Amino acid sequence: MIKNTLQTNDSAAPSMPVQPLTSEARPMQQQQRRNPPIAGELTAIANAQQGDGAAFEILYNMHKRRVYSLCLRMLGNVAEAEDLTQEAFLQLHRKIGTFRGDSAFSTWLHRMAVNVVLMHLRKKGLPLVSLEETLEPSQEDGPRKDFGTRDLRLSGSIDRVTLERAVEELPPGYRMVFVLHDVEGYEHNEIAGMLQCSIGNSKSQLHKARMRLRSLLKENAEGGTGA
Amino acid sequence: MTAEKSSTPVECEEFQQQLPEIFDSGVSIADHPHLKTCALCSSLVRDLEYIAAQAKLIMPIHDPSPAVWDNIQSALQQDGKQGKDRA
Repeated sequence: MIKNTLQTNDSAAPSMPVQPLTSEARPMQQQQRRNPPIAGELTAIANAQQGDGAAFEILYNMHKRRVYSLCLRMLGNVAEAEDLTQEAFLQLHRKIGTFRGDSAFSTWLHRMAVNVVLMHLRKKGLPLVSLEETLEPSQEDGPRKDFGTRDLRLSGSIDRVTLERAVEELPPGYRMVFVLHDVEGYEHNEIAGMLQCSIGNSKSQLHKARMRLRSLLKENAEGGTGA
Repeated sequence: MTAEKSSTPVECEEFQQQLPEIFDSGVSIADHPHLKTCALCSSLVRDLEYIAAQAKLIMPIHDPSPAVWDNIQSALQQDGKQGKDRA
């Protein structure tokens, strides 16, 4: 039997004495503000850790949409996204006993899903635009002399659907950081943990992703106006 | 659009290399001195902020099909059966 090591903080749990905020505790509190525990989540985790199948199903229903969204945004293919969602939850079932509550459960689960997606992309031999790449600026990152030719806001042609299509065109490495940060709302320190890269690398990848998106959106807008 | 620009390419390069950190710092980028003199970088920053803002509006996709949970259950049952057989 797996010992439950969770520090439960469900609203139903008895109130604990307030501890002074340490530098170690601060990031966890920030995560919990952004990813507050869903009502009943900690109880479901604790029960699932004891092998309760119904509790595991509750966790699946709480998190299936976000895990599936991540997979689908990364793969752009429903069948593959469903397969990887399944794989992520099977891994969750195998590893849930090791969850100790050091980070938000959703972050922990997302890290698992991210790994499943990365493994899949590597197996497919898709270039990730290396997450390990250095921060040395490439030509692509240098100052662009052509910007300012069109203001995206003024063009009136950029909406969510157009942006989602452009995101699908990003190389997987850029797409992963963009989706995790700008769409899912994770912080760079969390993304660095998920992708096992430095925080600086995560920031750099995000910037490159936005720059690439800008180019793609401009091309799209210019194509749309017959320019 | 022909933007008046008194900044040098070196200043633009330095500014753009700092952009990932500036964006993440949470400080108001609009007050950056470089943007007061550089229309090109101002346009770049506007576009990148716009992209980040639009990304926040992308909503979670719908649920996966019920077949996903059915497959998970089958796999877990299979695992459980194999575990018992081994015992």
